[in-house]
Formats: sequence, C-alpha cells, structure tokens
Amino acid sequence: MRKFPTVPLLLAALTASFSASAADLKLGVAHALSGGAAQYGTAIRNGFVLAAEEINAKGGINGNKIQLVIDDEQGKKEEAINVFKKQIFQDKVLIIFGPTLSNSMFAAGPVANAAKTPVFATSNTAYGITDIGPFVFRNSVMEADVLPITVATATKHYGLKKVAVIYGNDDAFTKSGYDVFKQVLADQKMPVTTTETYVKGDVDFKAQLTKIKATAPDAIVCSCLAEEAANIILQARSLGISAPFIGGNGFNSPKLFEISKQAGNGTFVGSPWANANPAPVNQAFIAAYKKKYNADPNQFAAQAYDALYIAAAALQTVKISGNVEADRQALRDALPKVTLNGATGPFKFRPAVTKTGKPGGFDADQKPFIYTVQNGKFELYKGK
Amino acid sequence: MEWLDTFWSTYNTLIYTLGVHALLALSIWLTLSCGLLSMANAAFMGIGAYVAALLTLHFETPFPLVLAAAALVPAIVALIIAIPVLRLSGVYLAMATLAFGEVVRIVILNLDITGGPEGLNGIPQSTQGWHIALILAATIYGLFRMKRSRVGRALEAIREDEVAARLMGIDVDRHKLFVFTLGAVIAGIAGGLNAHFTFFISPREYGFENAVDILTMAVLGGTGTLIGPMLGSSILTLLPELLRFLNDYRGAVNGLILILVVLFLPKGLWDPQRFKGWFRPQTREGGVQ
Amino acid sequence: MLEQQLINALTLGCVYALFALGFTLVFGVLEVINLSHGAVFMAGSYAALSVVEKLNTPLWLAILIAMLICGLFGLLVDVLILKPLRARNAPHLIPMIATIGVGIFLTNVAQGLFGAEIRRFPEEVLPAGEFVIGEVHLRALELAIVAIAFVLMAVLFVILKRTQLGRALRAIAESPKAAYLLGINVEGLFHLTSFVAAALGGAAGVLIGLNFNAITPFMGQPILHKGIAVIILGGMGDIRGALIGGLFLGFAEVFSKGYLSSQMGDAIAFGLLFLILLVRPSGLFGRVLERKA
Repeated sequence: MRKFPTVPLLLAALTASFSASAADLKLGVAHALSGGAAQYGTAIRNGFVLAAEEINAKGGINGNKIQLVIDDEQGKKEEAINVFKKQIFQDKVLIIFGPTLSNSMFAAGPVANAAKTPVFATSNTAYGITDIGPFVFRNSVMEADVLPITVATATKHYGLKKVAVIYGNDDAFTKSGYDVFKQVLADQKMPVTTTETYVKGDVDFKAQLTKIKATAPDAIVCSCLAEEAANIILQARSLGISAPFIGGNGFNSPKLFEISKQAGNGTFVGSPWANANPAPVNQAFIAAYKKKYNADPNQFAAQAYDALYIAAAALQTVKISGNVEADRQALRDALPKVTLNGATGPFKFRPAVTKTGKPGGFDADQKPFIYTVQNGKFELYKGK
Repeated sequence: MEWLDTFWSTYNTLIYTLGVHALLALSIWLTLSCGLLSMANAAFMGIGAYVAALLTLHFETPFPLVLAAAALVPAIVALIIAIPVLRLSGVYLAMATLAFGEVVRIVILNLDITGGPEGLNGIPQSTQGWHIALILAATIYGLFRMKRSRVGRALEAIREDEVAARLMGIDVDRHKLFVFTLGAVIAGIAGGLNAHFTFFISPREYGFENAVDILTMAVLGGTGTLIGPMLGSSILTLLPELLRFLNDYRGAVNGLILILVVLFLPKGLWDPQRFKGWFRPQTREGGVQ
Repeated sequence: MLEQQLINALTLGCVYALFALGFTLVFGVLEVINLSHGAVFMAGSYAALSVVEKLNTPLWLAILIAMLICGLFGLLVDVLILKPLRARNAPHLIPMIATIGVGIFLTNVAQGLFGAEIRRFPEEVLPAGEFVIGEVHLRALELAIVAIAFVLMAVLFVILKRTQLGRALRAIAESPKAAYLLGINVEGLFHLTSFVAAALGGAAGVLIGLNFNAITPFMGQPILHKGIAVIILGGMGDIRGALIGGLFLGFAEVFSKGYLSSQMGDAIAFGLLFLILLVRPSGLFGRVLERKA
C-alpha cells in the first residue's frame, strides 16, 4: 500500500511557515477554477485578485500586504473540504473566501466553522448556508430577498394575472430558487397555470413548453441556469409563445441574452449587481476589470470584489497579533459591523435567523436591482 | 508533534476517503471475480448513504444500527432486482445495472424526504477512523478467506466458463446472487460511512460517473488479487491531489490511465504473475499463464 | 397541443436516432460498445465551431470537415486501441472499458482547450426559417434533422442489404473468422466502420449543436445515456433499430413529460430500458447475442 510522503510534507509545512513574511495577511480563496462551475469560479477569483491588487497598491491594510492563497476546489465537495483544510491548517489563512457552489459550502463550511475560521461566500445563495454557524458570512443576496421584488415589479408592469413555472429539479440552486418562487407567488396571490421541470443537460424543452403554451400564461417564471435558460427562451419563441419571462439568479449572465437576442426581450430579472448602475464605485470597478482582464465583469466578479473590500474594512479595525486563532476570532467579530458602498451598491450584514435557533452566520442585507432585457441587453428598470 | 496534528487535520478526510474507496473497489472486484460487470455499485452506495443519513437525521439512531441498515437495505434491493437482472450476461448486464443506477439516482432526486437535488446536509460526523479501518480489515479478511474457499473457486470457474461450471454442478445462479448481494452490502456500508464524514450528500455523487470511477479503480489495480483494487483506488484517490497543477486537464489523466492500463497492463498494476516473471529471466515476461 | 407534441417527439426521436446510428454500427460490426461516441459527438460540434470561427468557412464545409476530423479520430482509436485488443482476443468488456477512457480523455481535453462555458455558433451561420402550420411550429433545422435521419438510415440500410460492401459487413457481423476465411478484408472493414461511425457521430454533433446552439464539453454525456437506451430498445447492431428505438424513446420522453410529469421523464426512459432488458434483451430488432463462454 502507498506510504504517505511524510518527509516532503514536513518540509513543506516548515517552509510554509517561513516563506510568508510576518507582515502579510494571508487570505484564502477556494473556488472552482476547473470543472463545471469554473466559469463562475474564475470570474470570482478575478474579482478577488483585482481588489487585492488595488488595496495593496494603496499600501495594504495598516501597512500589511494582502497575500491571496488561491486553490481550485473543482466544484466538488470533497475537494472543497480538502482545500479548506489545507488553507486552514497548512496555510493558516485568516479567512477563506468560497466555495463556489452552495453544495460545496454545505460540506466544507462546517469544517471552517469548527476550526473557528471565518468563511465568506460570495456566490452561495441556497437556504441554510448561514445556519452552518457563526463563522459563516455571505454577501450573495439570497433569492428570498430578490425574487419577491422581481415578481412584484413584473406583475405591475405587465398586469399579470397568471403565470406558468419551469425549473431545473436536479440542481440545488435552481430547485431552491423554485421553492422561493413558489412561496413568493403564493404570497402575492398569483395563480400558477402549470409547473414543469427539466434536468441539467437537457436541451429539448419543447414537450414542457408545449404544455405551458396550452395553459396560456401571461408570463413564464424560470428558475434556471443560463445554459438551459437560453434554449428555453428560444424554443418557447419558436413554438409561438409570446409571454415574457421572469428569471431568477441564473439569468444573470449577459451571454444568455447574447444568445437569445430578441427572443428574450421583456424578461424581468433581479440581480445584486447591475452593469448599468451609474455609481462611481461601480463604474471604476468595471473599467479596472476590463483593463486588467480584457472582458466585462459579471455579478460574481463584482460580489467577490466587494467581499474583499468588506473583509479589508474589517481587518482595518483588527490588531494583528500573529496568533492565528486570536486573529481569526477578532476578524470574525469585526466583520458584522462593516458597511460598504461597493460595486454592488450599499451593503451591510444581517444576522441569520437559523432554523434550529442556534447562533448562525450573517447574510447580505442589500436591495437588488431590477432590470429588463431590451434589444438583447440588460437595462435598469425605470418604472415604479 | 505539531506537524502531525496539522497533517491529520488537513488530510484526515482524504485518508477516510481512501478507506471508503478501497471498500468500493473491493465491492466491484467481488462481482468481477465471477465475471459480472455490475455498474450498480454506485447506486447501492447511494442507497446505503441515504438510508444511513436519514436514520441519523430523523431518528438519531445509534451509529452501529445505522451502518447495519446501510448494509441491509441495499442488500434487499439487490435481491429484488437480482433475479431478473442476473439472467443477463456480459454487456447486457452492464447496461441493465447502469439503467438501474440511473433510475435510483432519479428517484432519489425527485423524492422529498431525500431532500431532492439539495441533498441532505448537517449529517453528524459519526465516522471515526477506526470504524473504517475495522470494516475494511474485516472485509479484506472475509474476501480473502472466501477467495481460498470452495466458493471462491466456484466463482473463478464461473468467470472462466459459465457453461462448463454449470455442467460441473456448480449452482451458478446462487453464486451470482451471493456475489451481487454481498457487493451491494459492501458498497452500502461504504456509503453509510462516507455520509458520516462529509456532512452532506446529494444524488450527484452516486451516478454513472461514479460507477465508472469505481470500475476504473478496480481495472487499474488489477482484479487478480485483493491488493489490486485497493492499490487502484488509492492511486486514483490521491492522483488529483498530486496533479493539481494540471488544472483542467486533470480528468484527462484518468481517461488516459484507463486506456493505457487496458492496453498494456491487462491484468492491472498489481499482477503477481508479472512480478514472478521479473524474477525468472528465462521465462517470457508475463510468467506462466 | 397533441399535434405539436407529436412533432416534438418526432424531432427529438430523430436527434437520438442520428446519434445512435454510428453507435449501433460499431456494435454491429465490431461488437464493441463504444462509450466514447458521446465525446466524439461533442468533438464534432467543437470542430465545426472552431472551423467556422477561425477560418470563416460556410456551414456545409464545416460539417464535412468535422465529419472528417471525427472519422479520423475514430479510425485512430480503432487502430491504436481496438485493434491490439482484438489481436489479444480480449473479452467484450475490455474494449468497452477502454472506450470509457477515451471518452473521459476527450471530454477533459475539450474542457481544457475550450473551457466549460457554453459556446455557440455565430449568428450568421445558423440556418433560419420556420414553418407554422395551424398551431404547430417547426423550425427548418428541425425538419432538416428529421429528413437527414431518415435518409441516412435508408442509405445505410440499402448499403448493408444490397451492396457487396454491405454483405461483407454482415458476414463480419456474423463471424469475423469465417469472413476472414472467405477472403474478406476484415481488418480493413473494421477500420472503415470505425471511421464512418465516428464521422456520423460528429455530424450528429454538429447538427444537434446547431439545433440547440449550446456547445459544452459535457454535451455528450446525456445523449450517450440516451443513445445506450436507444440501441438497446431498438436492438444492438441494427440500423432500423436505431431509428425506431430513437423514435420510441423520443415519444416516450415527450409524452411522459407532456402528459404525466416532467420530473420523471428520464426515470421513465431508463425504467423502460430496464424492463426491456429483462424481457427482451435483444430489443426490437436485434439478434440475440450468443453467450460467449
């Protein structure tokens, strides 16, 4: 059977403790840089790197430079656990940003919480993330905060009387998005003509859409990821369905509307971040991102960017003692008090209300932007 | 001994995973040893994992009972589908078990009590290292004894030539049933153990790709001995850690390994006969067949 | 709604059939379940996409180039991997396992080269056009897929039944050894079949990639699973079976999603597959595979 590489490991542990200069602040980034979630993870990483560079260029935090420890968790929960452990115990980071997927957080978050290391999610929107414990933070706005506003705005704009729903039932993200939609529609007393499902990887939705068409809804509510959303929109139109779409967080991808072009016009989506938001912080972020990466940022990059600034603001108030456990605790205590005017707008934390009543973490307290799609592009919704 | 603490804190999950994968590889070794290519073991692992998790989460059942259930329920399911399925052979059996696996996964995906696609989280960490070590040791010992016994020889006979085995009076059907069910039991326990150190399970972990992974472990290591599958599982579990630098191309190595092993090392890495061949220069490499 | 669902079922079924044609061809002649066919399908899409994007070729040429590239890849796999396994008289399962490896390899290489995000064909290249008859909507591309599926099946069927080449292939399918003794160039025909099957898979990839305009490295997986179901339903190794099986699966899926429950659509498909295997493993048209001792 295999022997474990004990000697190299020992050497690595020793050198790791010597190589970082005492003044560096080690912050862990554990995101999906390969695999199915890589498109989100890489955008997120880009956001972090950009923010870290900006902060370091201005002198760091209290004179200390930020050192990002970046690892690929592949979008798999086992990897997330492994990476978290490495960053907590080997790299001894002060805080971990990540992981990318809610599923991974359910597995790895408890590890960080038990090790009393703050973990900060920027892309986990599922229910129950912050139930994991008091060391869990997120600035990703929950669907439960966005969807009610999206639906209400669309209802008012179109005068909706009834809607149909379609969602992906094999993905935690789209399924929990559906659960929220269901609740919202019930709360707003909107009748649902029919509810259809599909699974990830499906490309043909005509069966479900034909069924939806037969019930003549005024709008179609979708809790879908961008891949499927594009085809759903296109196929709906090609079947002669003219009803507009109301989308959840998965619709937040400019590519989606590049593909579906005019077919997606009139769609309503809520998002924590808008490209069109004119606030100077946001525009500066967009310009800097474009300059560095030669691409447009998306919501994920923006939230990551803001997250680093939030953590930096907290670290500003913390006296780094060099004792990792104490510093992590101090950081954790400082975070909830931070407020930020970031690329995603005004932000503050809100303590989570946990199912069990035990102390939980902190969720994002932010208003979403509502926008519609016109001519294949997002536009901030102007109406009231 | 701080570095030992650090080492353990960082890598204990990995070590537990090694143990669980070894169990899974052995479970498929068992079915292969009598010539059955069953792709259902990932599904049985899933059944075991969900049963175990649900018992712990809803009824707070003591852990030993949970593991017993994780072994028992897949066994019952295996018994139910075995009768029709085991009449098939070769490729058809593989396809049928594959289809069965998909059905299981989809059912788990759609039931409410299993949490659907969100899976079950917050599973308490009941698994200790010694649980895994003990069960693995017991399994290895049991399989080792079985291999040497009449049952083991009967399985080999069935694998070599089923018709001849039947003619010799071996109750082929009963042996196949035994092997299929026992494989399900081992996979189920592996699932139960796994669920209790990863906090969280979802249907995604028990699908076709996972069945293929398990198969790859056994093929890589070699199915001639008990060591082979465990070697294969260890290598394939550790490889992603070692190959981090390859990023996106990491998975390609898995595929490449499968191809190369099938082509050049048909009996897998751990082939005692090949080793013997090294020590007897006058014999052709590959030893005596 | 019924008419529209029928059309939906027809087009979906032909999508599956197109994929299954190459798949079943390899099984029929080489008796190998080539589980890399899904990855080849995906490669065809990317090949066409790359050619269109980088070289600005017209669509029809891109399809041909994609078919060529995939065909060559299939040939390579046959020569490098399947042939040595044949020489060794490896049991059936071994080549199948090797093709699993090929599939994994190809998928990951594609992911490394192209990234995991969805890619799509440029707007100008997509065939436009739609037919609306009463309440029924059908896109020109979908009609093309249906037509191609039927035509291909007919062409392959005729080749197999009426030509010298076809007879040779059928002889090999019966018994490669006997065919060899009859003077048939068995190895050569194996290579040809691998080439053609992969080329067909690539073509299917381009067409379906165009139809749904969502190209990812993983697009081959779900369709591979469905393809397995199709050839088992229709009978492994039978051309007609690929089409009938594909249509059958398409109808089963569309009607269970449309009238029963969209959630259990896939479960029903696989459940059906499971049942058919138990009752009639050879499928609708297939020969019963003899138990090789």
